[in-house]
Amino acid sequence: MNDKPGLRGGNFGASQPAAYRQVDFTNGYEFTQGTAYVLPQYPFVAPPELRSGQASLHPIVIVGGGITGLTLACCLARLGVAAVLLDEDNTVGVKGASSRGICYTQKSLEIFHKLGIYDRIAAKGTQWSVGRTFAGSDEVYSFDLSQQGLNNLSAQPAFINIQQFYIEGFLVERTLQLGHVDLRWQSRVIGFEQSGASATLTVETPEGDYQLQADHVIDATGSHSPFYQWTGATMQTKKGDDRWCIADVRFPKHPPTERHTWIEAPFNENRAVWQHKMADEVWRIDYQMAPNADPAYVSREDVVRARLQRQFGADVAVEIVWVGPYAYRSVCLDQLRVGCVFFIGDTAKVVSPFGARGGNTGVSDADNLAWKLACVVRRQAPPALLDSYNDERLEAAQENVLVTNRTARFLRAPEGLERIFRSAAIGLAKEYPFGRALINTGRMAVANAYSRSSICEAGCGTSMPNVRFGWRKAGEPLGTLNDLLNWANGHRLLLVFGHLKVVEMQKLSQLARLVPVRIVQVVRLPHFAQAREHVYDCFGHLKIAAKITRHGDKGWAVIRPDGYLAATGSAINARLSQVLQTSLAMAQRTPAALKH
Amino acid sequence: MKTDSQFEDADRFYEQLLDAHQGLSAEQSALLNARLILLLANQIGDTQVLEECIRAARATSS
Repeated sequence: MNDKPGLRGGNFGASQPAAYRQVDFTNGYEFTQGTAYVLPQYPFVAPPELRSGQASLHPIVIVGGGITGLTLACCLARLGVAAVLLDEDNTVGVKGASSRGICYTQKSLEIFHKLGIYDRIAAKGTQWSVGRTFAGSDEVYSFDLSQQGLNNLSAQPAFINIQQFYIEGFLVERTLQLGHVDLRWQSRVIGFEQSGASATLTVETPEGDYQLQADHVIDATGSHSPFYQWTGATMQTKKGDDRWCIADVRFPKHPPTERHTWIEAPFNENRAVWQHKMADEVWRIDYQMAPNADPAYVSREDVVRARLQRQFGADVAVEIVWVGPYAYRSVCLDQLRVGCVFFIGDTAKVVSPFGARGGNTGVSDADNLAWKLACVVRRQAPPALLDSYNDERLEAAQENVLVTNRTARFLRAPEGLERIFRSAAIGLAKEYPFGRALINTGRMAVANAYSRSSICEAGCGTSMPNVRFGWRKAGEPLGTLNDLLNWANGHRLLLVFGHLKVVEMQKLSQLARLVPVRIVQVVRLPHFAQAREHVYDCFGHLKIAAKITRHGDKGWAVIRPDGYLAATGSAINARLSQVLQTSLAMAQRTPAALKH
Repeated sequence: MKTDSQFEDADRFYEQLLDAHQGLSAEQSALLNARLILLLANQIGDTQVLEECIRAARATSS
């Protein structure tokens, strides 16, 4: 039953040489049904190593072409950094299991905007910001994410829902368009050996095996990575008995475009239900099953239809696009770097799906690592910069595991005391606002803050929204922070706010010679710019996003290529010089003119 | 009685609360809850607020 020709659109099986083992299903989607998606296929092209027999050395090799690996590939391609990506499959999406993540956060959308695929995602996907939570037939509470925090300052919305493989497909096409990264399909890594600073990988292909060497290996193979064993990586794991079953469906008449969650759905034996719209008018209805439910039974078509009828009425005419039962576990590696191997996405951590904290944090892992690799490979920063990937993204991984485990515990509250507390919380939440704080149907993913990073100042290490500003005095046309980050091309951005004296201009040009950084003056009418490279903060959003308000009108902010704020300050002095070096893990020296 | 959330970190509190009951029998759990209510009531102290809280807890349907 695993072989669903409709999903692959034809002759995949026939063109497969007998020697090349087909890709197994992963992520527990063993019992998928449905034939509605046709995934793209990418050709195997014999690489130079296969012809020459020489194990050539590559600065960066990415293993795994899921959303995380492909985001990294595309980030590097945009920066013009050469890399090789090896994927065991010849398509996007888990083979046969066409849908995985559906929910993409503002931070991910900002990253995709930087990469140039946001418009395609926005055109294909479904925007949403309102979520409602129900218990029984009562609404317990609702939220509107577009109204929270700095969310409304970004050019991107709070969330877009879209099937994960669409994003992966867009990333492949964009990477091919940008060049620099060699995407190698049907290339399975079957051997790994680390010697000194580099590693040798053995790759299996339909035309035979070959070897290549890599200075940096990025493991994006997912939660069943062979690199765990090869590197001896250690991890913390937790697995429960909670079981769910997804039904992706189309309705002739559909419900509102809001995220609806039931903690106790009367139509699902008082267990939880999720209801969410994505692209192609497809709705994801995710049902909590009895503990340890049999996945084969709960995903049987007649059983799925009966479940849908209990929710939407006996006469509901749904088209079932896809069905996937799943169990989840949480895994968090103890270190995200072992030697020259870096773990990103689901190889770094695995979380339950609540709150969209899986794929989205993988995308941020990639964006975090990409600019650091680029700086090190271009010799603009010492290799020590790469250690900050572990500091920052391990903190994020641990936070996401903690938060999603709490949600899982609330949703699968065992009979007894935990169920009693949950019932009490639901009862109070219906009556009093404070009770809603205790209702946990998923804390939606955010751009994680870095509080223990050696390359961010205390109080910074936060992601800036992709705010708008004016290129000219009159305001129009508008730009966004991403335009500046793209212009900086992998360098940090130093935004200097307010009027600049001649002596300050001199200090800045000295800094630009000392460290790789791109400097932009930010002014607001009635003030005019002194620097050639300047923008007009016509809405004042750059200043808010860069946390300059604490320093009065003047000030500076160091912004990293991943949109994170590394440091802010008021005066152009030795501290700025120091920060520009420490935020790139450089040894420090201060030029004479900046000592005062 | 305050009805808006006063929690600095509701999720963390809830987790600690559940963790405190781990491995206890039903009777031990009930005793823990009783002790906790009395401890928290002493933090509040205010007679009228405590009366309102008792009334609200009694009146809230499940």
